[in-house]
Amino acid sequence: MRNSKLFSAALLFLVLLTLSCRKDEPVSSERLIIGISADIKTINPLYSFSVDEGSINDLLFLSLVRVNWNETIGNIETEPLLANEWQWSADSTSVTFFLRNDVYWSDGIKLTAEDVSFSFELYSNPQVQSKFYGTFEKLLLNEDLSIDLKRSIEVIDSFSLKINFIPNTNIKLVDVVLPIVPKHIFDKYEYDEIPSAEINFNPVSCGPYKLKKWDRNQMIVLEANPNSFLYSDDMIKELIFKVVPDYNSRITQLKKGEIDIAEQIKAEDTETLLKSGKLNIVSVKGREFDFVGWNHIDPKKFSESGELVKNIYFSSPNVRKALTLAINSEEIISEYLINFGQSAVTPVSPIFKEYFNNKLQSIAYNPAEARKILKSEGWSDTNNNGIIDKNGTEFSFTLYVPGGNPLRQYASTIIKNNLKAVGIDVKVETVELNKLIDNLFNKSMDAWIAAYYIQIPLEYKMVWYSDLDAAPFNFVSYQNKDLDIIIDALGKKIFYEKEVELHKQLQEIIYADQPVTFLYWIDNIVAVNNKVKNYEINPLGVIQHVWDWRLN
Amino acid sequence: MNKIITRAITKRIFSSVLVLFLVITFVFFLLRMAPGDPAQKFLSPNFSPQLAEQISKSFNLDKSVPEQYISFVANLFTGNLGSSYTYRLPVTKVVYEYLSFTIIFSLIAFLIQTIISFWLAVRSVKNINGSFDRSVDKLSLLVYATPSFVIGLILILIFSVQLDLFPTSGTKSLNNSELPFISRMLDYFSHLFLPLITLTAGGIAVFYRYIRDNINDIYNQNFILNLRAMGCSEQTILRKHIIPNALGPFLSIAGIELGILFGGALITEVIFGLPGMGRLTIAAIFERDYPLVMGCTLAAAFLMILSNLIADLVKIKIDKRLIKDLLQ
Repeated sequence: MRNSKLFSAALLFLVLLTLSCRKDEPVSSERLIIGISADIKTINPLYSFSVDEGSINDLLFLSLVRVNWNETIGNIETEPLLANEWQWSADSTSVTFFLRNDVYWSDGIKLTAEDVSFSFELYSNPQVQSKFYGTFEKLLLNEDLSIDLKRSIEVIDSFSLKINFIPNTNIKLVDVVLPIVPKHIFDKYEYDEIPSAEINFNPVSCGPYKLKKWDRNQMIVLEANPNSFLYSDDMIKELIFKVVPDYNSRITQLKKGEIDIAEQIKAEDTETLLKSGKLNIVSVKGREFDFVGWNHIDPKKFSESGELVKNIYFSSPNVRKALTLAINSEEIISEYLINFGQSAVTPVSPIFKEYFNNKLQSIAYNPAEARKILKSEGWSDTNNNGIIDKNGTEFSFTLYVPGGNPLRQYASTIIKNNLKAVGIDVKVETVELNKLIDNLFNKSMDAWIAAYYIQIPLEYKMVWYSDLDAAPFNFVSYQNKDLDIIIDALGKKIFYEKEVELHKQLQEIIYADQPVTFLYWIDNIVAVNNKVKNYEINPLGVIQHVWDWRLN
Repeated sequence: MNKIITRAITKRIFSSVLVLFLVITFVFFLLRMAPGDPAQKFLSPNFSPQLAEQISKSFNLDKSVPEQYISFVANLFTGNLGSSYTYRLPVTKVVYEYLSFTIIFSLIAFLIQTIISFWLAVRSVKNINGSFDRSVDKLSLLVYATPSFVIGLILILIFSVQLDLFPTSGTKSLNNSELPFISRMLDYFSHLFLPLITLTAGGIAVFYRYIRDNINDIYNQNFILNLRAMGCSEQTILRKHIIPNALGPFLSIAGIELGILFGGALITEVIFGLPGMGRLTIAAIFERDYPLVMGCTLAAAFLMILSNLIADLVKIKIDKRLIKDLLQ
């Protein structure tokens, strides 16, 4: 009995001691805490595949130019960063960059044009396997897709270099935006050693921030780099990327002020976060849309013989239009997204104000019209069993949705009910994401719900081009020659006015063909503590140009 | 006797190695049969299709599954588990980072579970069907039936949000490294207090019910009555006769429980943001990081076998007659 009392007393004492010693973590006016859901894998811009890795690396490694979002025109624009200025050649096939001569790596070595040239070499080398490998199609390349340095990049002197492009391509300055890495560090490694090199965890950087500490699975701490030309006395001195895997814990920590920013907030939580009085809610619009993919080819025949045989349900554009008419996507937006989303009409988001074709209106929910079109296409309920049929085949298919995505689960229920109302029988099947991706590449499903995250600048070929080898993400096997001509033309050198016109024409074709049913653009909802000032959250992302942010 | 024990342990080690080998072989082929491709995450409109090809080649995924298996086994004998596809680091290094936390956390949890459940069981049995016994019995049933994520969230809501006594996640404060030693330890304790309650609550309930029933059975046996009749004090009976006899069956489940804890406590790790093996394993499975899954499996299987072996050895130490079981 005495022992148990002693034991209880000792335990109580320890808890009380802990509580008495526990002070609130210092709430620094110079510290910003960003909540992230998972730890990063590397601090090397060559391999920053995830969004958080990209955000962190952009603060540590700078590019030749800075990319900004211009809200007025709804497109990107560039301004000097590592390059003070640049000059295009008369025929616009080359650009000469003049670098700042006051940029230093964190080990004190000066950044020069050699670093820039070496970075292009590294990023394009197949052995390095960087995230940009194979994407330099506008530069002169070797057979293995590495950049032909002799012809593409000329180092003029320590602080200027010239980049030559393939003539008659649609060249933009953002094509050469990549974080520059230090040559004197990376050239110590063989190319195939770089993916697992120590430098991936202990970087020598040139940005306004440098790595202070990385506690695996806990936090990544960046501190302001006083030697950076972007440094200013009133910038945020410390950035902490705190790993909080559980969504509810992130919400709690936002309310308590333990973290200052978190992304991917659920719409249903915005109200309570606002009520805390500590937070603002903003959102990144128009980067991701959900769609229902209708396979234009027969999945069974394709898996058996690789032949592209028309799908009996979805190969007709009229049927696909009827399906879009029959689906009430507005209901999903108002009920689930609670207006943190917009109706999607084509793959071009309304954020691209000049490219977006505003003549194309969202296809409103109209089951009666859907039924009419389906009937004109030969689909009617001949045996009165509630399911429409054609030539003895009932309109019945399985709609696949990825597991662990409540929005798509909800959408699938609405879609199932909507389509039932026009006589289509839909079975919903939830599959693991990896399995769904496998099925997409194998084209083995009739219909599915998935999302596209659109690129800036807009890129269509990989998703909408008819040549399926050139378009690995054309999962529905959509083919339209007129669209191919536009996509090819957009890849060539054209005037801006013509480019805008082509973007609009492209949307008209896709709108008419309805290769997929575009459901809704999903906002990335972000909660930001009131103490953060001067931040800009736009379609380019959330954590960007943080050196311009201030704290109260 | 020492010879017999050595023979028993050697035999057990050989059978354990065989079990380990079978487990990793089974998981190796199961992983390859599962849908999904490790290079799949590099397939995106943002990257070129050639990148995925290059990466696939560097992961040796272009080779046949039997070839991959032979190469895996050959490397295993040299202690090389390969490199993680996602971390781009040797698997042993990645696993070590997470395993060290899991081992410390699991041992503390196990110790707490054992001490508290023993204490509760002994107190309950002393006054069987008394108010304490009945209350703890009902409470243990309630705790056992409550999923650990519910316990975790309730604890966060009360102690972190409402009372603001404990932090909600992580293992330490942002300024932990600046604190003096004692404060640093207390900082760890305050961070791990709620996770430990969440993780141990269910275990305490199981252990308690098991130990209580065992002790109660022994209490009612004739030899205890005999000891009482001989004038032995209750304290001596409990310490020298009841607890040693109750320990045997308890150790069997304790060995399994410790092994499970070593494998990672996924729910607790996710809710409280702890860097443990559970999260690492699940992430590796979802990302189809084959070498890392193999590394996690090997570590978990090894620790499960080891904890059971230790439990058996402790049982032998208490009751030498059990050596026959171990030999069999």
